Amino acid sequence: MSMFDYDARPVTPGVVLVGTPTSRGGYAIRDFLSRNGYPFEWVDAGQPDAVRAVLGVAEMEPSALPLCILPDGSRLASATVEQVAAGLGMVAAPSRSEYDLTIVGAGPAGLAAAVNAASEGLRTVVAEAVAPGGQAGTTSMIENYLGFPNGISGSELATRATVQARRFGAELLLARPLVDISADGPGYVAELSDGTPIRGRAVLFASGVEWRRLDVPGVDDLLGAGVYYGAGPSEALACTDSQVVVVGGGNSAGQAVVRFSRYAQHVTLLVRGHDLGASMSQYLIDQVSAIPNADVRVRTRVVGLEADDRLRAVIVRSGDNAEPVPLPADALFICIGGAPRTDGAAGIGLVTNTAGYLITGRDVAREPGSNWPLPREPLPLETNLPGVFAAGDVRCGSVKRCSAAIGEGSMAVALVHRRLAEVGGE
Amino acid sequence: MSEQQVGADPDAVVSSEFTELASDERIAAAAAALERNGIQPLLAATGADARVLVDSLLVDGAEVYNNTSQTLEAIGVADDIERSGRYQPLRLRLYRMDREMQRREMRTLAASPDYVVGSVHALTEDGSLLIASASGSQLGPLVSGAGRVILVVGAQKIVSDVATGLRRIYEYCYPLEDARARRAYGVPSGVNNILIINKVLAAGRVTAIIVKERLGF
Repeated sequence: MSMFDYDARPVTPGVVLVGTPTSRGGYAIRDFLSRNGYPFEWVDAGQPDAVRAVLGVAEMEPSALPLCILPDGSRLASATVEQVAAGLGMVAAPSRSEYDLTIVGAGPAGLAAAVNAASEGLRTVVAEAVAPGGQAGTTSMIENYLGFPNGISGSELATRATVQARRFGAELLLARPLVDISADGPGYVAELSDGTPIRGRAVLFASGVEWRRLDVPGVDDLLGAGVYYGAGPSEALACTDSQVVVVGGGNSAGQAVVRFSRYAQHVTLLVRGHDLGASMSQYLIDQVSAIPNADVRVRTRVVGLEADDRLRAVIVRSGDNAEPVPLPADALFICIGGAPRTDGAAGIGLVTNTAGYLITGRDVAREPGSNWPLPREPLPLETNLPGVFAAGDVRCGSVKRCSAAIGEGSMAVALVHRRLAEVGGE
Repeated sequence: MSEQQVGADPDAVVSSEFTELASDERIAAAAAALERNGIQPLLAATGADARVLVDSLLVDGAEVYNNTSQTLEAIGVADDIERSGRYQPLRLRLYRMDREMQRREMRTLAASPDYVVGSVHALTEDGSLLIASASGSQLGPLVSGAGRVILVVGAQKIVSDVATGLRRIYEYCYPLEDARARRAYGVPSGVNNILIINKVLAAGRVTAIIVKERLGF
């Protein structure tokens, strides 16, 4: 046995990713691997010695980047997230021809539903576009979730929930988003981006939200080159001794400040509102306020970016009439609320509010055009389509907190049982 | 260890005293002694056989921590644990954690796996196991943190007594391990902690698989 268990690094070959630090494609793969808990070694293509150590040559053709070396030694040139996922065996086919419950999304709501449904004997499948955990999975530390007095990281909570769901027999289909859903008798067929169909007698949308886009010129061009949506756990180490700016006033933004302040020289949190109290939990406000290398600027907006091949500064305007000023920045993390993820659901006629959140329960009847077809009222969490439910952040009126999403996901299973009894077979 | 020893020449000539496989009689004696000491002994003719035995002892879905071990890597057990998908490989889970934000989670997770699988540096003929560690992180779970312990031991590690086992660690294992640590991590190793297991009270908790092959060092 070795005397030195250095840093708990894997002892078997992992994934090696070679790319440029400002590559959007490279960042997408880093983010994907990181969020799926897959260890990888990142090699900067601009460092000849490092490149030679893994490839035997000092330089790479730029067109071959990002280059991904899989554990079996095979190489993917100009790699994409989809290719890497497939190469790592993460893309599985459904094992059954039909399920009792199809869950769309493996965030807290979806995983809670999966654990409860599978533990009660329902044939359960979860389709997840990226990685288990959803937005909460990238949260550095959740300190107000019941039963974890010292807090639990979002990734660890997601890992445990995934193990738990699988132990009860739930299937997880990763790395493919839902692209369509259609009626199939009393049930529904969901189609994933690779064409995989999933037939389910009931469906739960727990697809959560994605970060709202920051409407500032240049943001899209700099994605992965200093500009990131969310708290990007894969980028924490890269922020060592750098100037970091976080935009947003919610808990996700606060947690990003806490995380990056451990690495960065300085972190600035930009908030549009007058204070943090309206949208951030008090415990996080207290933590952020106590961080010596972080400061909060309220009533401040991002109005522009300065960059060469990567981000150099964020142009901000404070107050109503102040002049725009540059704030030196190596990285900008955008955590400004969310936009509901209902891709693939549009064609079937699910009713949403103007912001796109799915309307459920008694609110369905109040919506013009909902066309509720049954003599009974929609069940709580049931959309305007019988047997299609919504839980968590994607649902109109939900409380946007991890614990609330878990509660809704768990509750949805009881309602699914009622629906399945209604259509027979239970 | 002294600073001078820690900085020992990685190319130092090591003793050949500790590289020869023990005879069948000594292996049998060590196995019988292990059993008397509350450690379940299993014999394997080859590394491949040992790999099958380890697999049969682990429960699918269990949290398994594989200690860094040339022995486990050589016979494919490390790969089985980290890559097969049959278990929850704690090493991978720990590696991806944020060292700044998740230190507490890492500590508690590493301290109490369902299974720890590793090796030893010496096994005495009267059934004592000797394990040295630079960081010490591997030793707590072996003594009491892990639910079950599986140790794979190449038969060249059998020595006559604890004193010889300690000499094996300092004179043979350490120079090789120091060279490996410098190559792999860029840091020296050190005999900073030594665990000697003379007896196990919890029946069935610790299994030692003696392999009639030279494995690890």
